[in-house]
Amino acid sequence: MSDNKVEKTIPQTQAMFDNYGKLNGDNDILHYDDAFAKARGFRGTLGHGLMYTGYVCDLAAKKYGKDWFYRGRLKVKYVRPVCPGDNLVVKIEADGTTECKSQFDTTLVGNAGLT
Amino acid sequence: MTRPSEIKPREGAQPAALYKDWTVGQEFPPLPFTVTPDIVREYMSVVNADPNNYLIDGRQAAPSNVLFVYMMAVMYRVYPPQQGGIMLGNTVEFHNPIWADEDTEVVGSGRLTDKYEKKGRKIICYDVDFKRPDGTIIMSVNHMSAFPE
Repeated sequence: MSDNKVEKTIPQTQAMFDNYGKLNGDNDILHYDDAFAKARGFRGTLGHGLMYTGYVCDLAAKKYGKDWFYRGRLKVKYVRPVCPGDNLVVKIEADGTTECKSQFDTTLVGNAGLT
Repeated sequence: MTRPSEIKPREGAQPAALYKDWTVGQEFPPLPFTVTPDIVREYMSVVNADPNNYLIDGRQAAPSNVLFVYMMAVMYRVYPPQQGGIMLGNTVEFHNPIWADEDTEVVGSGRLTDKYEKKGRKIICYDVDFKRPDGTIIMSVNHMSAFPE
């Protein structure tokens, strides 16, 4: 299973950002105030980095199975924002190279593997 | 059940720690909390997790990364959060599972590992370790964020 490429596409909405923020208690204005986010130079409100890291972890659990829970290792960098309306493609290549990419840009890069 | 919002200081709720306040080497005191099946279900919903990816020898595990929603609370209890923070990166290691069908007592602790300014951004790095009360490690994270002030 670990030599497989895994991928899924998750369209992003403000409701998804709000639901994640409701759970983790994050009240950072960049996640919910569109005008504030645009004034800071972003396309819109920002998705929670750890939310789409969760998308990557889901694919890594699928790819690596039981081993992921005992010796999984994930390194990610957030390189561009994710905003409502983005069609986010989440992907782990066969070698563990990890990427999230919207129709606008690459948003996350990294690597998921086993120690 | 411990909802993260019960233990995480909210942005804007109290005077924020500024860059000058962060001290490299500062320890974050142990933060105990309980991850319940309700929290696991809600977390799996908000990260589009497929339960089929979390079966270990036929038993339903939680995504160990459910602990992400508690991570910032460990640091923010020492350094209250600013508005406008941006996450730059995370390095995560998973060591033991959390089961989806039972309460799990967890203790989070950590330390500020670095701070520096780069291209006008004020960057902080910190480690958080999540363990069971008996010391069994579940997940460890090295985190990097940038803050405006």
